[in-house]
Amino acid sequence: MNPSTLLIPVFLPLAAGALIFLLAKAWKGSGAVLSLAATAGMLAVSALLFGKEGTAALPWAGFGLDFVCRLMPFNGFILLAVSFFAFCTALYAASSLKGKSIAPHFFGFLMLSAGFAAGAVIADHLVLLLFFWEGLLGSMYGLIAMGRKDAWRTAIKMFVIVGVSDLCMMAGIAMTGHAAGSLVMSSIHLPVEGLNTLAFLLLAIGGLAKAGSMPFHSWIPFAAEDAPLPFMAFFPGALEKLVGIYFLARLSLDLYGLQAGSWVSLLLMTVGAVTILLAVLMALIQKDYKKLLSYHAISQVGYMVLGIGTASAVGVIGGLFHMLNNALYKSGLFLTAGMVEKQAGTTDLRKLGGLGKRMPLTAAAFVVFGLSISGVPPFNGFFSKELVYDAALERHWVFYLAAVLGSFFTAASFLKLGHAAFFGPAKPEHRDVREAPWPMLLPALVIAGLCVLFGVYNTLPVHRFLAPAVGEEALAGHHVSGMPANWMLVAGTLIALAAALLNHRYGVKRSGAGLGAADHIHHAPGLSGVYDRAERQAFDPYNHWTAFVGVLSRILNAADRGVNALFDVVSVSAAKTLSAGTRRLQSGAYTAYVLWSMAGLAAAAWWMFR
Amino acid sequence: MQSLLILVPLVCLMLFNLPWKRGVGQAVSFGAGLAFLAAQAAAALWAMLSGGEPFADPLAGFLVFKTSADGLTWVMLLTIAVVAASSLAVSRAAFTDEKDRFYFANLLFVSVIGMNGAALSGDLFTLYVFFEAASVASFILIAFRRGMAGLEGAFKYLVMSTVATVLMLTGVGFFMLAGAGTSFAEVRAACLQSAHPEFARVGGLAFMAGLFIKGGMVPFHGWLPDAYGTAPGPVSVLLAGIVTKATGVYGLIRLTGSVLPMMPEVQTLLMTLGIVSIYAGALAAIGQSDYKRMLAYSSISQVGYIVLALGCRTPLALAGAVFHLLNHAVFKSLLFSNAAAVESRLGHNDMNRMGGLQAQMPWSSLSAVIGLLSTAGIPPLGGFWSKVIILLALWQAGFHAAAVLALAASLLTLAYFLSMQRRVFFAKGTETGSAVTEAGAAYLWPQLALAGLTAAIGIGFPFVYRFLLTPIQQLLW
Repeated sequence: MNPSTLLIPVFLPLAAGALIFLLAKAWKGSGAVLSLAATAGMLAVSALLFGKEGTAALPWAGFGLDFVCRLMPFNGFILLAVSFFAFCTALYAASSLKGKSIAPHFFGFLMLSAGFAAGAVIADHLVLLLFFWEGLLGSMYGLIAMGRKDAWRTAIKMFVIVGVSDLCMMAGIAMTGHAAGSLVMSSIHLPVEGLNTLAFLLLAIGGLAKAGSMPFHSWIPFAAEDAPLPFMAFFPGALEKLVGIYFLARLSLDLYGLQAGSWVSLLLMTVGAVTILLAVLMALIQKDYKKLLSYHAISQVGYMVLGIGTASAVGVIGGLFHMLNNALYKSGLFLTAGMVEKQAGTTDLRKLGGLGKRMPLTAAAFVVFGLSISGVPPFNGFFSKELVYDAALERHWVFYLAAVLGSFFTAASFLKLGHAAFFGPAKPEHRDVREAPWPMLLPALVIAGLCVLFGVYNTLPVHRFLAPAVGEEALAGHHVSGMPANWMLVAGTLIALAAALLNHRYGVKRSGAGLGAADHIHHAPGLSGVYDRAERQAFDPYNHWTAFVGVLSRILNAADRGVNALFDVVSVSAAKTLSAGTRRLQSGAYTAYVLWSMAGLAAAAWWMFR
Repeated sequence: MQSLLILVPLVCLMLFNLPWKRGVGQAVSFGAGLAFLAAQAAAALWAMLSGGEPFADPLAGFLVFKTSADGLTWVMLLTIAVVAASSLAVSRAAFTDEKDRFYFANLLFVSVIGMNGAALSGDLFTLYVFFEAASVASFILIAFRRGMAGLEGAFKYLVMSTVATVLMLTGVGFFMLAGAGTSFAEVRAACLQSAHPEFARVGGLAFMAGLFIKGGMVPFHGWLPDAYGTAPGPVSVLLAGIVTKATGVYGLIRLTGSVLPMMPEVQTLLMTLGIVSIYAGALAAIGQSDYKRMLAYSSISQVGYIVLALGCRTPLALAGAVFHLLNHAVFKSLLFSNAAAVESRLGHNDMNRMGGLQAQMPWSSLSAVIGLLSTAGIPPLGGFWSKVIILLALWQAGFHAAAVLALAASLLTLAYFLSMQRRVFFAKGTETGSAVTEAGAAYLWPQLALAGLTAAIGIGFPFVYRFLLTPIQQLLW
C-alpha cells in the first residue's frame, strides 16, 4: 500500500466540504452530489485500506509537530465505520434535506466533520489528534447552530461543554508529552501512576465528553430538538461514539496501561454504570421520539465506558463491539425518527400512533433496531451487552446489576416507544401518511440488515474487527463470539427482558395507552419529585456551572463598576476641584506672585536651616 | 573653538544692523540665523559623537571669562539650536511685517547668545550674566505685539525676574564670602572646606531660589502662564521650548548636579518642589480653556519631572533629567508651534471655540497627536524613554513613593492632552465644516520635523543613550 493513500479518507471529504461552501450559491444541488461522491470514495478507500498497516508522515507545523497518520488494526475498522456512516448520512440527507435552505451548509459541515473524524481516528500524533478533535468541535457547532431558530443556544451549550473538556484534554496531552518525551502516539506507553494518573484522567475527560457520557451529556437532548435530524443520526448516533470511545480505548490500552481493579478503572466503571442508569431513566419518561432516543444515545455510552473501564480483554472487546452495534442501531433509530417526522409531520408521541400500517418498512426497521438496543437475542446488541456483563460481573456484582437494570429500562422504553408510535390505534389525521422515500429508507434497511448480521454472525465483527485491535493473545482463550458461554448471564438477561414485557403490559393496562406504559414509574412515590426536578434541568451540571459563572461575573462586574466609579467620578471630580483651586490662586496680580515666591523661599530657608 | 558659538552671533548681530537696503537685512538675518543654528547643531552632534572636547579654543583668550564644555553643554547647545531654529522658521509665517521679522531675528540672536554663553560658562557669575542677557531679550519678545496683554505678561516676568536677579546676586555674594571665587570648582571647594560653610549654604539656597523663579517651579511660577500665554506664537516656542530651560532648569542641573555637594535637605527640597510642580501644573492644565495657557501649565508640570530627578541625584537620574529636558524642548516646541498654527488660522486660542479642525487641518492634528503622546510618555516616542529613566532612577534609589506619584501624574497628563486634542481637532464644534484651511508650510514643516525628531529619539534610543546620556552620567559630582 502506498502510505499516502491513507490521507485520502481525510482530505477527500475536507476538499469536498470546502468546494461545497464555495459552490453553495452557484450550484444549489452541489452539496448532495459532492457529498455522495466524496463519501463513496472515502468508503471505498477505507474498505481497501482495511486490514492493512502503514504510516503516512508529512512535515507540518515544525517544532517536531508532524502530520503523522498511522493505520493499524486498532483504528482500521473505526475508519471504515466512520466512512460507512458518513456515506449513509449523506445518502439520507440528500433526500431529507432536499430543497431546504440549510442543505448546502449542512453538507459542507457534514463533509468537514467526516474528514476531521477520519483524521482524528488515524492521527498518530497527539497534537494532530487535537487539531482534528477541535475541528470536529467547530463543525459540530455549525451543524447544530443551523437548526431551528434558537438552536444557537444549544450550539453554544455544546461548545462550552465539549470545549472545556477539550481544554482538559489539551492539558493532558501536554502532561503526557512531557512524561513520555514524545507526542507520537505509537511510541507512548505509560503506566497509570503518580502524576500520569492525572494526565490519564484529563485525556479520558476529552474522550468521555466527545462520546457524550455523563456528566458531559446535557446538550444532547436539546440538540435532538434543535439540530437537523441527519446531524443526530450521524453525530450522537454514531460518529461521537466512534471517535470518543476509540480514543478512550486507545488511551486505556495503548497510550496508558490501565490496571484492572485500580481505582481509576473503578472510577471509569462507575461513570459508565451511572450513565447507563440515569440516562435510561430519563429516556423512559420522554414523550418525544427524538428526545427519547437522545437519552438512549447517552445511556448506551455507559455500556461502552463500563466495558472499557473493566480493563479486561473481554470488557474492552465488549465495549468496542457495543460501540459498533450502537452506532448501527442508534443512527438507524434516528433515521426512523427522521422518516416519521418527514411523513407524519411530528415526532411528538402524543400525536403519533398506528404508523405501522402506513409505514411498514420503517416500522420493520424500527423493530429490528428496538430489539437490538434492548439486547434481545439474536440481535447484535445482545452479544455485545453479554460481553460487557461478563466483564462487569468479574469486577463486582453491583456493576452487573446496574447494567442489567439498564437493559430492563431500555427494553421498557422501547416497548413504550414502539407501542406509541407504530402500533396502537391509528390517528385519523395520519390517513394520508405514506411510506418514506427510498433514499431515506435504504440506509435504514441496510443498517437493520447489518444489525441482524452482526448478531447472527457475530464472529465476523468480533474476529475480523475487534480481536485484532486488542490482540488475539490478550483474549487468552476467552470465548468472545458465538453464543455466550455463561448461560447464567443469558438467563439474567432473558429475565430482565421478560420483566420489561410484563411491566409494559401492566403499564398499558393501568394507563390505557402505549404512551402511558411508563407512567407508573414516572409517577411512583419518591420518583416523581426527582423526575420533575430532572425535567426542569435541576441536575444539569452545565446549568449549575453557568449559574455559578453568572454570579461570579456579576460580582466581578460590580467590582469593576466600583473601580470605574473611582476613576470616572471620584478622580475626575477631585481633579476638577483641585484644578479650580489652582486657577483661583492664579489671580493675575504680580504682587501675589512675588508673595508666593517669597513664601516659598521662606519655607525652603526654614527647611535648610532648621 | 566653542567660543565661536558666542562670538559669531554677536558679530552677526552687528552685521544685520548695518545699513542694508530695504528687505536685505531681513533676508540676511533669517538666512544667517538658520545657517548659524544648523552649524551649532552640527558642531554639538559632532562633539557628542567624537566624545568630549574635540575643538581647540584659541579664541578663548579674547573673552573675559573662561569657557568649558562637557557632555551636558553639548546637549544644551544642540537643544538650543533645534528649538531656536524652529522658532525662527515659525516666525517667518507668524509675523507679516518685514520689520517685525527682522527685530525678532535680532532678539532671537541675543537670546541665543545668552543661552549659549550660559551653557558654556564654568562660573556662577558668568552664568548669571548670560541668564540676564537671555532674559532681557525675553522681556521684549513677550511684549513683541505691543498689546496690553503682552505688556502685562512681560511686566510680570520683569518683576519676578528682578527678584530672581537679586536672589542670584545675593547667592554669588555669599559664595564669594565663603571661598575664593565663583567658578564651579571654587564654589565646590568652598562648600566642602570653608571656614564658614553656612555661607555656602545660604549662597546655594539663594542662587537656587533665583533659578526656581527662572525655571517656573511651583510656587515660584506665577509669571509663567501669563508670559507664555500672551507672547506671540514664535516667542512662545522659544520661551517655553528653551529659554526657561536653558536658564533656570539648566542652572539647577549644573548647580545641584555638579557644583553643590550632596545635601539631603536640598534633595528633599527638590523632590518636593518637583512633585508639587508636576501635580499643580497638571491640575491647572486640566482646567484651562486657552490652548497656550494649557501648554504653559503643562510645561510647569514637565519641568517638575526634571527637578524631581535632580532631587534623586544619582547618575541615572541626572541623565534622565537632561534627557527629559531635551525631549521636553522638542515636544513642547512642537505643541507651541501647533498652537501658533491654530492661532494663525482662527485668531484666538480659546479651545471651547475650536472643535472639528481635524478635517481642515489634518497635518496639524497629526503633529499635535505625536507631541501629546510623547509628552504623556507613550512608547516608542522620546518622552517615554526619559520618563522611564527618571522613574527607574527614582525606584532604584529607593524613592518608591515619588516614583509612583510621578507615574500616576502621567494619567493627568494624558487627561488634559486628550481633552485638548478632542476639543481642538476631533470633536464636532464651532469649526466643523468651516472655511478654515490648513496652516501654511512655514508652520507645518517645523512641526513635522520636530515630530519626526521626537519619534527618532525614541526609536533610536540606544544610540541616544550611548552618545548623549552616558557622558552625562559621569558629570555627577
